[in-house]
Amino acid sequence: MDKIFKLNKREQLLVQFIMLAWVAVVLIPFGAAVLNALKPNVGQVFREPFGLPDPWTWSNFAKAWVNANFAQYFANSTIIAVSCVVLVTFCASTTAFVLARMPFKGSTFIFICFLFGVIIPIRLALAPLFDIVRSLGLLDSLLGVILVQSASMMPVSVFILVSFMKGISTELEEAAKMDGALPFTLYWRIIFPLMRPAIATIALLTFVQAWNEYFLPLIFLQSEANYPLTLGLQRFNQQFSIQWHMMFAGILIMMGPTIIAFMLASKQFIAGLTQGGVKE
Amino acid sequence: MPDDKQASRVKLSYRTIEKIQRTLLLTPGVLLYSVFNFIPLLMLFYLSLVDWPGIGPKEFVGLDNFAKVLTQPYYRDQMINALLQNVIFFTVIIGCFLIIGTGLALLLSFRTYGRKTYQVLFFLPYPMAGAAVAYLLDLFVHPRGPLNAALTQWGLADAPIPFLGSEDTSLITMALFYSWHRMGFAIILILSGILAVRTDLLEASMLDGASRWQSIRHVVFPVLGPAFILITVIVLVDVFNNADYILLIMGPEAGPLRSTDIMGTFLFRTAFGGSADTTDTNFGLAAAIGLLTALMILPAAIFLALRNLRKT
Repeated sequence: MDKIFKLNKREQLLVQFIMLAWVAVVLIPFGAAVLNALKPNVGQVFREPFGLPDPWTWSNFAKAWVNANFAQYFANSTIIAVSCVVLVTFCASTTAFVLARMPFKGSTFIFICFLFGVIIPIRLALAPLFDIVRSLGLLDSLLGVILVQSASMMPVSVFILVSFMKGISTELEEAAKMDGALPFTLYWRIIFPLMRPAIATIALLTFVQAWNEYFLPLIFLQSEANYPLTLGLQRFNQQFSIQWHMMFAGILIMMGPTIIAFMLASKQFIAGLTQGGVKE
Repeated sequence: MPDDKQASRVKLSYRTIEKIQRTLLLTPGVLLYSVFNFIPLLMLFYLSLVDWPGIGPKEFVGLDNFAKVLTQPYYRDQMINALLQNVIFFTVIIGCFLIIGTGLALLLSFRTYGRKTYQVLFFLPYPMAGAAVAYLLDLFVHPRGPLNAALTQWGLADAPIPFLGSEDTSLITMALFYSWHRMGFAIILILSGILAVRTDLLEASMLDGASRWQSIRHVVFPVLGPAFILITVIVLVDVFNNADYILLIMGPEAGPLRSTDIMGTFLFRTAFGGSADTTDTNFGLAAAIGLLTALMILPAAIFLALRNLRKT
């Protein structure tokens, strides 16, 4: 056993070399972004892309934030992502609770309908989806985007929660039911606390997905006041396509929160996002 | 017996209240999902049978949209082009994932220094927004960008290579962007497959005198089959509906000269037109294309769903 996974010195060296090579592949683009976002003008970016900035120009970030509307984009992205998390955690946990614990005639049918959503990506139905959102008068509103993005996360979330719930015992609920507890109480007092780890997973998944989503806002939002960061970055790219140092600063503003969150909770990110990716 | 009667009435009303509360708990999620996800998917069938530019009256045309896409040269050629390019796109990505991903996962499974750190670093691009990654790499491989500067400086290229400006390289470059972004996901899936290999099997193979490579080849790789299939299916479903990188960098016209056109961009262009001020929108045709694409990925998607279902 040890003989397989343990390495001698020379092998260790070789493995380290390969690992570092891939780390370079991953980190060099990020590094180039940081270096170049701090340069005072685009000439320096073109002349010496890997050279140190001279002088270090931190004001690029402030400029992007203020002049290029990033404050607004950032606020919109936050509103969308937080609302989606609240909506999805609530709706998916209540739905999963009923489907897993209180089966009735037709509950299997509902579950299969959710399964349908896991199978066929909503992007393929962009024409009918656009039609529905428009006829509800939700076009070009944050509410519309929030509802559509939340709905697109529902199938995966319900799936994760139902399978999690099948794994926990029903004893507590049975006892509470004996005492006459009703579904609301059961959900709020027993199921929700028990499901906390799985709910944290779907909350993380929903937040990352909603924060990163580009396609759905692209279809449903027109006015720039409603743009989230993804669309804002695209607009920014049209305006500043020559100003690379500004472009890099904008990209880093968009990535910043994700990088910080990932560094703080890398284990949860890796586990949660992998699980979410597998269920898709 | 007044006591009994009261008891049964209480019990009955408990049942009723239970039913009401159950319905109330179920409603928000089912409503949200059905209005903004399930019903649009069902409406695909209906919309694919009408001629409708997205506004005004719908005209029922039967299977005309499908006939258009499958036989009319203008649409058919676009469709075939998009489909073939989509297959190339997919093949490059899956090749990267299975070769580089398996290699790195294998190395991560050895007792190397700092393998937890490496694991985190390898995963780093995955949680980032596709939009940010697309623009970052777009600038990075630009003829005037850092990569080309390094290549020409080290004499690896005589002149800057227009990775995204030439028809020959742009699709492959896009696929490599995708691979760079999601490699961490493939590594983690394969790694968990490797770590799940039963230790007694490995020990038995060692006792039989197998070398490290033999053990890996005959004990570890066969067990990785399901992980490989899983990755393939997930990527397949994703690349046949998601064209974010291309929409972001190339726009719906999928330049240069449609050499990066895949099903996602073709679908988008059909529904909303190529440029912002276009009038060439066709929701009926878009629904038909969406339905055809769904049909193509259906086997893979059903496989994925059944696998999830078995686990539930």
